[in-house]
Amino acid sequence: MKRSFIIGSLIFLILIIPPIRIYMESMMIIHMLVQLPLLIVVGWCIGEYIENKYPKLFELINGNGVSGIIIFVAITMFWMLPRTLDEALTFPIYEIFKFISLPLAGFLLKDSWRKIKAFGRIFIYLNYLSMFGLMGWLYLDSPIQICNNYLLEQQKTLGWGFIFITALMVLYVLQSVFTDQSEEE
Amino acid sequence: MKKKLRNIILISFSIVLSFCLFYFGTDGFQAYTAESARIYRLMEEKPFFPNVTLEDSKERVYEFTEFEGKYAVLTFIYTSCTDVCPQLEMNLAEVYKQIPSELLGEEIMFLSISFDPDRDDPKTLEKYQHFFSSDGETWRMARINNEEQLSSLLDEFGVIVLPDGEGGFTHNSAFYFVGRDGELLDVMDYKKTDEAAVKIMDTLQNDMEG
Repeated sequence: MKRSFIIGSLIFLILIIPPIRIYMESMMIIHMLVQLPLLIVVGWCIGEYIENKYPKLFELINGNGVSGIIIFVAITMFWMLPRTLDEALTFPIYEIFKFISLPLAGFLLKDSWRKIKAFGRIFIYLNYLSMFGLMGWLYLDSPIQICNNYLLEQQKTLGWGFIFITALMVLYVLQSVFTDQSEEE
Repeated sequence: MKKKLRNIILISFSIVLSFCLFYFGTDGFQAYTAESARIYRLMEEKPFFPNVTLEDSKERVYEFTEFEGKYAVLTFIYTSCTDVCPQLEMNLAEVYKQIPSELLGEEIMFLSISFDPDRDDPKTLEKYQHFFSSDGETWRMARINNEEQLSSLLDEFGVIVLPDGEGGFTHNSAFYFVGRDGELLDVMDYKKTDEAAVKIMDTLQNDMEG
């Protein structure tokens, strides 16, 4: 379990190296769909380690997992606002907050995901599926540049990225629906 | 029972926290894009026009303080621009036409500032101003030759200019309304020309009466 802690910290350190950070943020799609998710992964890995080391802690701060998942949804939605991505490039305080809040979101998700059971998981999954679809549509369809720091072209690429993820998520739903049925028969 | 209570407290706390995150992150649910946030911030800060040296289409060189004591309506442009700048200037011409001519040059100046001094020399600017029937006097077009001054102005007024890799630029556009002492009074939507003209006239009238 110590391994997940090391992996998490290592990813975090790599992401924080200035040239890598600046390179990733220079492309909108990598900023949104690689850097941000990786920061969540960092939190998830560290959460796994803490969960084993101090099992009581999560009991205290994240009783039945609902509060954790609410914070997780809020933080991830916050970083999907067109504004925040832009501000992270302009204001260091947003950038610092990004590197703290997203690992925290992953950290809480790790514990909540275990606790919220199947119904909660399906709810969250479908919530993100529709949200990603909406984001893809927003970025593809917008005739104007939404972000000041990224060109229209980059915005379109990100839109396709979101559509791609949504398509994968839909495929996953279909696949799991059909496999479940075949198992029952 | 105790556990249940704690869960309720935790959930309420997380909802309040999420609300705060969005409330402060969007300036009270007002600014969802960086552009709206930029205008909101400018209105809070009310920056002053930094002292820059302008060179206009008639090859006159002067400082911005030349306009001290007069209101000014500014736009930031570059003449090789094919999409938003002509629209921006066309709309500025609409506003310009709505201002009574006796006030032009006396109480208020119109000024289009180029952020592409390499290509926009006085000759180019002069050609450009004909398209919008700008007279070069009450509505001037000028470039800022000093790079440092230019970037400090763009910075102060929150104009972000990105080279698009094909010799052009992408930039945010608006009308900037500057007061007699060089203070930024308002950043107006360049698509709403009538609204902008009304606002300018109201300010002028209030000022001249008071």
